[in-house]
Amino acid sequence: MPGQARYLDPAIIARLGTIDLKARTIVEGFLTGLHRSPYKGFSVEFAEYRQYLPGDDLATLDWKVYARSDRHFVKKYEEETNLTCHLLIDVSASMAYASGTVTKLQYGSYLAGAIAYLMHRQRDSFGLIAFDDSVAALLPASARSGHLRLVLLALERLQIGMRTNVAKPLNDLAAAVRKRGMVVLISDLLDDPSAVLDGLKHFRYRGTDVIVFHILDPYELQFPFEQAARFRDMETEEEVAAVPASIRDDYVQKMQELIGFYRRELGLAGIDYCLLETSQPLELGLMSYLMTRHRVL
Amino acid sequence: MFGISFLSPLFLVAAIAAAVPILLHLFHRKTEVVIDFPAVRLLKRAPVQQHRRRRLRELILLALRVVALVLLSLAFARPYFAGAVAPASAPLTVIAMDQSMSLSAPNQIERAREAALRAVAAAAGSTALTLVTFADAATVAVEPTTDRAAMRLAIAEVAPAPRGTRYRTALARASEVIGTREGRVVVVTDLQQAGWEANDEGGLPDGVDVEVAAVAPPPGNLAVTSAERRDGRVIATVQNYGNAESKTAVRLLMGSAVMAQADVTVAPLAAADVELDVSLPRTGQAELRIDDPIGYQLDNARIVSLEPPSATPVAVIVADPTGASGGLYIERALNVVGRGREFSVDVLDGSALAKWAPDDFQRRAVVFLLGTRTLSRAGRDQIRSYLARGGQVLVALGPMVDVGTLTDVLGVAIAASGDPVRTPGATMVATDGRHPIFRPFLNPSGALGDVQVDQYRRLTEHPDRVVLARFSGGDAALSEQVVGEGRLMIYTSDLDNEWSRFPLNAAFVPFVVETARYLSRGESAGEAAAGFEPRESSPAATTAEEFTKAIDRTNRSNLVDPGQAARDVEDQQRWWQVGLLLMLAALAGEALLGRRTT
Repeated sequence: MPGQARYLDPAIIARLGTIDLKARTIVEGFLTGLHRSPYKGFSVEFAEYRQYLPGDDLATLDWKVYARSDRHFVKKYEEETNLTCHLLIDVSASMAYASGTVTKLQYGSYLAGAIAYLMHRQRDSFGLIAFDDSVAALLPASARSGHLRLVLLALERLQIGMRTNVAKPLNDLAAAVRKRGMVVLISDLLDDPSAVLDGLKHFRYRGTDVIVFHILDPYELQFPFEQAARFRDMETEEEVAAVPASIRDDYVQKMQELIGFYRRELGLAGIDYCLLETSQPLELGLMSYLMTRHRVL
Repeated sequence: MFGISFLSPLFLVAAIAAAVPILLHLFHRKTEVVIDFPAVRLLKRAPVQQHRRRRLRELILLALRVVALVLLSLAFARPYFAGAVAPASAPLTVIAMDQSMSLSAPNQIERAREAALRAVAAAAGSTALTLVTFADAATVAVEPTTDRAAMRLAIAEVAPAPRGTRYRTALARASEVIGTREGRVVVVTDLQQAGWEANDEGGLPDGVDVEVAAVAPPPGNLAVTSAERRDGRVIATVQNYGNAESKTAVRLLMGSAVMAQADVTVAPLAAADVELDVSLPRTGQAELRIDDPIGYQLDNARIVSLEPPSATPVAVIVADPTGASGGLYIERALNVVGRGREFSVDVLDGSALAKWAPDDFQRRAVVFLLGTRTLSRAGRDQIRSYLARGGQVLVALGPMVDVGTLTDVLGVAIAASGDPVRTPGATMVATDGRHPIFRPFLNPSGALGDVQVDQYRRLTEHPDRVVLARFSGGDAALSEQVVGEGRLMIYTSDLDNEWSRFPLNAAFVPFVVETARYLSRGESAGEAAAGFEPRESSPAATTAEEFTKAIDRTNRSNLVDPGQAARDVEDQQRWWQVGLLLMLAALAGEALLGRRTT
């Protein structure tokens, strides 16, 4: 899908107007590329009639129509579930980093918006929680028609916060979520990996499915700097003088070890993990989300 | 500093560029690139470069860059080590110190040294000093330097010498040393009048100040102006240069033994002869000495040779000794000097020469060849052999000389015209007045300009022949050349009063005598020549004002660039090449270290 990939380029999406338009553009483009919606299924809302074919479940046969027309038709219903999804987005200072035009927070916002838009189409209930070392914004999950606008508006108004403390809001939220559902975590995970893991496991203990979008800038993965410089931590403002060429290999190795840790440990905990670079098309994130949702349902 | 000078010191200004890497270093430190980065915690765990080690490398890099720039500017400034030689651009004070015989009076040289030391002390610290000692010649005793101790040491060693005084020679030497720089001359002298030799050349450049540190001359002086052995006696002449009658003892010494003694009283500004009748050996030498407690000490003694004087054998070969032009004038001229004892002259024609034994002829110190027309084959061979084996010949190309046979006679082609050039009233001018033959004519009263020549033979110029005098038309009058082991002088007119009236001129006798002396390389026998003229014994002095006014001033643009010596020294040392090599080494080190750092 080269055309769709170009269309869903985060840099292009960033130039679009409101986050509502961005989310719709992402999702519609993504769905158009799929050619069909695989998400038609059981639903309480009528969708269409179709002539009976051998093999169809007799339970779907509309006997009233058969009585009036003496023809066999089956009723198709739009899918409707009671899935409740919580979008958790990290707004800590490190999410403001961008080697290009799109910061990690922007990328995460587009992704969250797109998922929200997709949930809205699926009649799912969804909410939004922004956090750094505490909860910065909270929109409870809802499936009402106007809820999408509120979520998108909240995403558009997200402000960069302070230091990351993923574990604390995760634990707080896990305790608050009573109904089984789904949690989507969008973060760079630059926190204590064990604490992050513990927080996510907390959800799993309560039967909540979790998908983690690990958002990283390409520079964080490749560390392509050339000139010796002082690198200042965006959250702690701690500085480290370094000559990139001499430490690049070691740094990349450390980063890959961190990614590997999350991928391995989250997998063992039954948590989906998706690494996304801010230069990658957003459809990859949507694809991961849908796969998880499909598994959940 | 450290004896280092620079040919192009302005390039040192470029060393300011060394401040650029320093400023960049400081600037770089203040504005070091700071990059906000989220994953610094991973960097901390990476082996980041030790800050202290990196700082040390940066300092080494900075030092190498600064050194490279400084070395580059130093190389372009072209340094050289001149020891204590002062920089060519420094102001220079020349201390010209008189050490002639006239500084040999008691305590005189000590006063001269004190005056010179005062001049050293008075010179500003940034001023270079040089010491020029002079008598009849000038010597740079201390090259331009800022080392005062070296100057004092050299001044302490200056002692009077038995030489005359030539102020212009000293001034010329000082002028050379000063060159084009700012200069000043301090002349330490007794201001003796005799030091101004009219024919000397030399002055000081415009703008060079002169200070005269006068050393007072003695009130009087007694000098032995001549001493010789004559007929078993020793006759000495004592001159009194003072204004008062003076009495002194005259002693004749052989070793430390007094052989004879006499007292003599000499009137003011007069001379007196003293005869010492004493029996002396026929060989060796004696010293004749007088007592002079106040005057110059170096003119109080003369060496007397005890050997009888031997005359210099001279042969004058003519065409016809009985004729009017038979070498008469030369014979008479040579017999004038030394009362006939300096030269032994034989005048002979070709037939007489043929009868001479070859060895007898070979003993002639000088041969004047005035005529060749009667020379036989044997005579020609004798002359040619004499010249080739080291003989000294002057040939006068007069009417009695057959130019066509001269090549056969002399063994060398002289390329002279057969017919004489008729130029009535032509005069003779010396091309080099310092040549020994022409020294007596330096005084205008004895100038050769009065000599008039009517005819001469034109001599073709030859690179092996040095022309010593020319006629007013430009043709050679007197030339000199080497033939075999001997020396040949050619006078292109005659010396017998036929083509000129030269023999009747007052210049003829000194000309012939000095020519004979020059060819025979002889000294006047019987008395050792002193290194100064009698007038050096006269304490008559000028004033400092007269001395200053007598100095000729020259244009600085005519001077030789004094920086040439510095350029020669620098060219020999070539330290700029070393500087460039070191700079390249510094840059190579910087590149290697910089590569490791980045």
